[in-house]
Amino acid sequence: MKRISIDPITRLEGHGKIEIFLNEEGGVENAYFQIPELRGFEKFVQGMPVEEVPRVVSRICGV
Amino acid sequence: MAKLKLGSYWGAACGGCDTAILDVHEKILDLDAAADILFWPIAVDFKYKDVEAMPDGHMDVVLYHGAIRNSENEHIAHLLRKKSKVMVAFGSCAHLGGIPSLANLYDKKQIFQYVYHDSPSTVNPAGVEPQPTTKVPEGEITIPIFYDTVMPLDFVADVDYYVPGCPPTPKQIWNVVEAILTGNLPAKGSVVGASSKTQCDECHLKKNEKKITGFKRIATAQPEQETCYLEQGFLCMGPITRGGCDTRCQLSGVPCRGCYGPVDGVLDMGAKAISAIASVIEAKDEKEIEAIVAQIPDSLRTFNRFAIGASLLRRKTL
Repeated sequence: MKRISIDPITRLEGHGKIEIFLNEEGGVENAYFQIPELRGFEKFVQGMPVEEVPRVVSRICGV
Repeated sequence: MAKLKLGSYWGAACGGCDTAILDVHEKILDLDAAADILFWPIAVDFKYKDVEAMPDGHMDVVLYHGAIRNSENEHIAHLLRKKSKVMVAFGSCAHLGGIPSLANLYDKKQIFQYVYHDSPSTVNPAGVEPQPTTKVPEGEITIPIFYDTVMPLDFVADVDYYVPGCPPTPKQIWNVVEAILTGNLPAKGSVVGASSKTQCDECHLKKNEKKITGFKRIATAQPEQETCYLEQGFLCMGPITRGGCDTRCQLSGVPCRGCYGPVDGVLDMGAKAISAIASVIEAKDEKEIEAIVAQIPDSLRTFNRFAIGASLLRRKTL
């Protein structure tokens, strides 16, 4: 089965890739969109003084 | 003169460094006139395979933003190092680990447990967690391996220069671009695009003798906006943080959190911050010191806000 990898996805903020599998006729059999990225803000802001949180989570996306 | 061949990449990052490069505004046209961009995921559509196809040392300069959080970040760091003559750790994350390295207070298991199972917005009855390799009917698909410890760029690749800041200011970015274009770069390993003085040396706030008898929080008290925040008891990383950002935070009415990293010669930013703050606490005895220090909320993540990844301990031992 032919495979097309789009890696990385560009012109957006963040990381992503797409794997496309083609069938024998050259049509798309299946496509997978993957997010290869996690930083874990959900965890590491826990217990932080509330006034500091905006100064940290503004770095989730800086675009 | 041949155009400079330039690459730019993000590891574990937010895109703020890329945006800061675009914030040089119309000077981006000068950059375009002087340099060919061969790789820059946020702005142009080159793929990893295009970089792999380049001869070694093909790119004159690569700006790497973001920390090393997973195996992809590390793999691409190695690849870009091989394909470039000069590699720059650009921004706090590549320089010191940055905000993503706050995750070093936990390990992979704890982060996955919360993100994929326990967080109130997660619905995951099957208990699925991302796997490096997943079998699908058509074959296998992969994602990078998530590391326990977040690292700055120089832990995995040889770095020529460091540009500090979260993000670096556009003015400083342009200074760096000009230095690159004119070949006017200092010794390898230098911090560029910043000052050699501290934030305090460049801060507009009025400074008197620092004698701190108690700490306050911006959530519950309002600093007077003409006097040094630290003197008023609001914790500020200014005394040990490198200048060069035009003290953007202090001008916005909040104390510095240290994104420009430490001044030269500091081995561990958090330890140096503890030492600096301790030296201005005014107390008679140990009991009084303890009472004052207890008023500092979250000292670990304040003193090490941007630099846990590059700290001597690297991470919390679990």
